[in-house]
Amino acid sequence: MNFFRYFVRRVVLIIPLLLGITVVAFIIANAIPADPINANLPPNALNDEDTIAAFRKKWGLDKPLHEQYLTYLGNLLRGDMGTSIKWRTKVAEDIAKRLPATIELATLGIMYGVVLGVGLGLVSAIWKNSWADYIARVIALIGVSFPVFLIALVFLSLFYAQLGIAAGPGRLHILMRPPPTVTGMYTIDALLDGDWKTFGNALSHLILPALTLALYISGIISRITRSSLLEVLNQDYMRTARAKGLRERYVIGFHGMRNSLIPVVTVIGLSYGNLLVGSILIESIFAYPGIGFYMFRASTSQDFPAIMGVSLLFAFIYVGVNFVVDILYFFLDPRIRVG
Amino acid sequence: MSSISSISSSTHEFESASRGQQALYHLRRNPLVLIGLIIAILWIVIAFISPAIAPVEPLQQDLVNRLQAPNALFFMGSDELGRDIFSRVLWGSRITIPAGLAVIIIGSALGVIIGAVAGYAGGLIDELLMRLTELFMAFPFIILAMAVTAALGPDIRNAVLALSAVWWPRYARILRGLVLEVKSQEYVEAAHSAGASGLYVLFRTILPNCIAPAVILATLDIGTAVISFAALSFIGLGPEPSSPEWGRMVSIGIDFFDQWWMWLFPGLAIASLVMAFNFIGDGLRDILDPRLRGE
Repeated sequence: MNFFRYFVRRVVLIIPLLLGITVVAFIIANAIPADPINANLPPNALNDEDTIAAFRKKWGLDKPLHEQYLTYLGNLLRGDMGTSIKWRTKVAEDIAKRLPATIELATLGIMYGVVLGVGLGLVSAIWKNSWADYIARVIALIGVSFPVFLIALVFLSLFYAQLGIAAGPGRLHILMRPPPTVTGMYTIDALLDGDWKTFGNALSHLILPALTLALYISGIISRITRSSLLEVLNQDYMRTARAKGLRERYVIGFHGMRNSLIPVVTVIGLSYGNLLVGSILIESIFAYPGIGFYMFRASTSQDFPAIMGVSLLFAFIYVGVNFVVDILYFFLDPRIRVG
Repeated sequence: MSSISSISSSTHEFESASRGQQALYHLRRNPLVLIGLIIAILWIVIAFISPAIAPVEPLQQDLVNRLQAPNALFFMGSDELGRDIFSRVLWGSRITIPAGLAVIIIGSALGVIIGAVAGYAGGLIDELLMRLTELFMAFPFIILAMAVTAALGPDIRNAVLALSAVWWPRYARILRGLVLEVKSQEYVEAAHSAGASGLYVLFRTILPNCIAPAVILATLDIGTAVISFAALSFIGLGPEPSSPEWGRMVSIGIDFFDQWWMWLFPGLAIASLVMAFNFIGDGLRDILDPRLRGE
């Protein structure tokens, strides 16, 4: 199968999925709350007939359900996710403003996480049942068993409050001015501005939350890497590779890694979901002003439109990432190209 | 490391051993399972007897002794209202353990029924149910649970309901596959030809033959359910703030960052419980999947 056909087929498959997500979000937003007006408007607006009438009209609440959905979808396509109860701002704008900060953190987090996870998994599988395997598995187990908010608090308390070797909460030192906005990502903007001091400071604020995020997602990645590589190592072709005299480094690095990578890539895609959830819990502790912190403050104050907006965005990101993983398969798994 | 002869003799014994002996054999080979079992049982016992053993009531305030570091009177310190953290952590087990188990039981039952019906009915019903399953799997599940809890209104019951409502898809997938496999067996055909109704065949003949993998998955999942519930309540979508629920206690503790005992002990309670269930689940997986046992 050529790449173009494969790509088009994936795109066609993803469209009903995205529409389905909006249906689920619509049902949660409009059908589950006993009264959507109560759920979506601030308490003091509930006595104001005009506000209620305007809300009804905008979301088509007086029309039948399928028309309500179309209104909802129309509003969504125009980038309208409703108005936050707590801050009275447009949810879509709030999200757009905070998204770059989260992308910056998540990217660094997943990079650390993949390196740590795949590394631990490799060590575990190659030196199976040794003390190195044991330590790697315990680290993985901590990653999946310790609540990520506890890891974040311990890191912050240890490396920032006690030892003073890491930067504290926030994105930048309080007295520093953010770099001129281009991408909204402070590290990149500072680099574009040629401002190394700001770059260093922004990066130092990223390291601790990114490491927490990495530990959180590396647990599952290292487990899959280990079991996947162990399974591959038992295959006949591995014995053949050794029998024909290949060096061990080459046997594992080429035949082993390549064949065990496919499930690992799937899991990295799937753990993006954990990464998003983790960003909510971690940003809230590091007072890092991204989408996760926004979601945390929205949910502690029952800001329903904001919660729905972030949920929808996260579902879209998740689907998008797994779409990319599907595309990567094409290059990783020759069976798809041939079959 | 045992020598070759002892391995072969133990394999021989293994074949003729009773189930109880097999279980003992595996427990001895997987000490982590044993540790997990001990911790989990300890927590379950605490959940039952905490009203009797907790020094004070979890909501009892003592404003004179607020924000005390751990000492002889308050083993784990006291919080901003002078409540005893130790008592609250003990009582917390009465919320978290039942909540985690409820999510697993409701969620897996839902998945088993949906998957079984899809696999057995086939055709359009199968198609519809499986598309629905895929749709639910497209959401990061805790995020979906957050949205549902927020819509229902935050409290313990709604958090459990929301998590159960997003928990079922994996079970549905597995069950569907198994039902498809079992459906074509001769004894199913025999039941049909003996005049049994479709529902009877599905629930009495087919399901009992494919329930085991769902039970195993459920055991592996308890830790995840507990940690997900804690995460929901950490972000305020669980019990009310005064509740001695562990996740909630940690999130209130953030505002008292320097009073580390306020967040550390409830956090460690979650970690120990989840780790115990993960030890058990891991061991179970190793025992049931010999390829990974590493022998």
